[in-house]
Amino acid sequence: MVAPPDNDVLWARALHFQHHDGSPALSGVSLGVREGEILAVSGPRGSGKTTLLRCLSGLTPAQRGEVWFNSVPVHTMGTLTRERLRRDRFGWIDPVPVLVPELNVWENAALPLMLRGTSRRRAKTSAVEWLERLDIGDSIRKRPHQLHQAERQRVCIARALAPAPSILFADEPTAPLHRADRAHVLRTLTTAARSHGITVVLATHDAETAALADRTVSLLDGRCVTTVHLPPVAETEGRAACSLSV
Amino acid sequence: MLALRLTRGARPAVQLRRLLVAVASAGTGFLLLCTLGHALSHPDDPAASLLRLAWCLTPLAATVYFAVAVARTDPGTRPRPGLAAIGLGPARLMAVSATTTALSCTLGSMLALLVFLHLRGDLTGLPFDGAAAHALAADSPLPLPATVTLLSLVPAIASVSAAMTLRPQGAKGMFGTRWRGSLRRPDARQAAGGAFGRPSAGIRATGAAPVPRKGGTTPAPVRAAHVPTATPATPQPDPDLTHTTAPPPTPDGLPWGITILAAGLATEAYAIQAGNPPGLTLPGGTATAPAVLIGWLLTALGLALAGPGLTHLCGHLLQSARPGPLRLLAGRILMAEATRIGRPLGVVCAVASAAYAVITLYDTADPSFGPLTLLGAALVSGCTVATLLTAALEAKQARADTTAALLRLGAPTAMLRSVAALRAGALLTVFVPLTLAVARLAALPLAR
Repeated sequence: MVAPPDNDVLWARALHFQHHDGSPALSGVSLGVREGEILAVSGPRGSGKTTLLRCLSGLTPAQRGEVWFNSVPVHTMGTLTRERLRRDRFGWIDPVPVLVPELNVWENAALPLMLRGTSRRRAKTSAVEWLERLDIGDSIRKRPHQLHQAERQRVCIARALAPAPSILFADEPTAPLHRADRAHVLRTLTTAARSHGITVVLATHDAETAALADRTVSLLDGRCVTTVHLPPVAETEGRAACSLSV
Repeated sequence: MLALRLTRGARPAVQLRRLLVAVASAGTGFLLLCTLGHALSHPDDPAASLLRLAWCLTPLAATVYFAVAVARTDPGTRPRPGLAAIGLGPARLMAVSATTTALSCTLGSMLALLVFLHLRGDLTGLPFDGAAAHALAADSPLPLPATVTLLSLVPAIASVSAAMTLRPQGAKGMFGTRWRGSLRRPDARQAAGGAFGRPSAGIRATGAAPVPRKGGTTPAPVRAAHVPTATPATPQPDPDLTHTTAPPPTPDGLPWGITILAAGLATEAYAIQAGNPPGLTLPGGTATAPAVLIGWLLTALGLALAGPGLTHLCGHLLQSARPGPLRLLAGRILMAEATRIGRPLGVVCAVASAAYAVITLYDTADPSFGPLTLLGAALVSGCTVATLLTAALEAKQARADTTAALLRLGAPTAMLRSVAALRAGALLTVFVPLTLAVARLAALPLAR
């Protein structure tokens, strides 16, 4: 077991993961995330971005390989310890906003803080502060079903940012949004992260989104690649063959 | 055929629920056939036979209620994107659901017929041959049309009720009809109104990391493809408009329920005070005034009506006064699930209070419960309790994706369990004393 470099807040080495049905997801991914940076994990659909984020955040234990967070091994932790680590140090944003439908907006945003044991009043203050920064300060008493999809996604971002996590994992946070909403959501997310020194690991298949990040790691078929060399797409492959044969 | 294949491929827990429906249907069918036997052996007393037939309505209603609850939770007959894409939309799935219900109920009816014939002595070769030959009119032949009619009652009513409950309601959006249960079913919106869902949703959900499920009931991957919602192989959120559907409205039946409950209790007390002649024979053999029975029925109806409102009130009290996450989640979930949980809970309370009243009444008198009365009572209580448990399961299934999201946030599983325990405790605290009080009040006039 090699100790990780000191300047990396999160460090993974040779992660291997295979789904239950045997299909491979990750085959030997290694990466390091420096403190305070925004790292984009890019790649097409099915390249293992979500699985990589889940392994890094301790949601799913990798089958082989190591994950270190601040020189603490995550891959050897038990379920309960990983759960506490996720609650106390990590934030997570889903591709679609999943809020608790019974709670109103500020209660949703304050829930992770309250789960950590913060008092209700302080949790509310902090959550409302973030909601105002994300332009939904005037609807903090609404229920999630009364909001638009983009507003709900911003509530999710506020929920992830309010506890001031060390690392924020965002799994395609703008996937279901239109371009205007997408730009707004991304801008607020990156600005908030930079101003508060939050490390962000951002999974995306979109080159525009990846351009906002400090650094990009490309995944292809479960492997880290530096340059993607795919054979050029033959536009008229089938048609040409047909015309020849006739 | 598709209904049969879907039925066969289900998980053991689902099969167990269907088996319970079959057992309930068998019990009800047997009671109906016994009524027929009574009518055959007492051709000179049609009033008594009719009364027995009328008493069979209670287990019949309980069985149908349970069958519908099981049909609602059946993962095999719920909308799925893949099936909707090949043309098996909500309407066809409703037919499949009705067929499945009819299958289990028919199985039960056949079982009832076998037991009945065996006890009459028509089928030989097993112990207890013709043990009840005298009571079941073994000397006269069994009329076929009556038997078939009685035995088809449960399957027919249950499947029609299941179809009515699960029917697609109204046209909504360009993707056709909206599933009636879609407010509660996590993936129903995906199939019915999935215009905004990501196109690769199904692929993503099955292809992404399958996490070992809690509780050790991890199914084989092939099975997971059969029943996608009951086994969330991965806690990926459903790519639907997760919270665009408005929450169910606040139940408003509480005043009505309390009024009817009070009216029922008053009717009973008045009937006894007025000294009405006992003209009605209860299944236990005791004669009582019809007004008392009406009072009991009103009491039961009132409890069933007040159930959702009481559950909502319970949740409201639980989350009031600056709650922490535990009370907040427990109370709000209880408020949201008030209708789904409260209705069967009210029915269970009504049955329990009736049972309590009957037990206290018949304790001192001559205990003359026949086996058929016991069977009927067991059927009614078993079906109502099973319906309550099924409703709780349905609520759990509907909340699966929210629970998964909470777990991704790092909410401790222990806390989620305590939330569930707190909900159950709050409901027990309210409903157990209520049941006891109603039962005492109902038994009070009769005991004097």
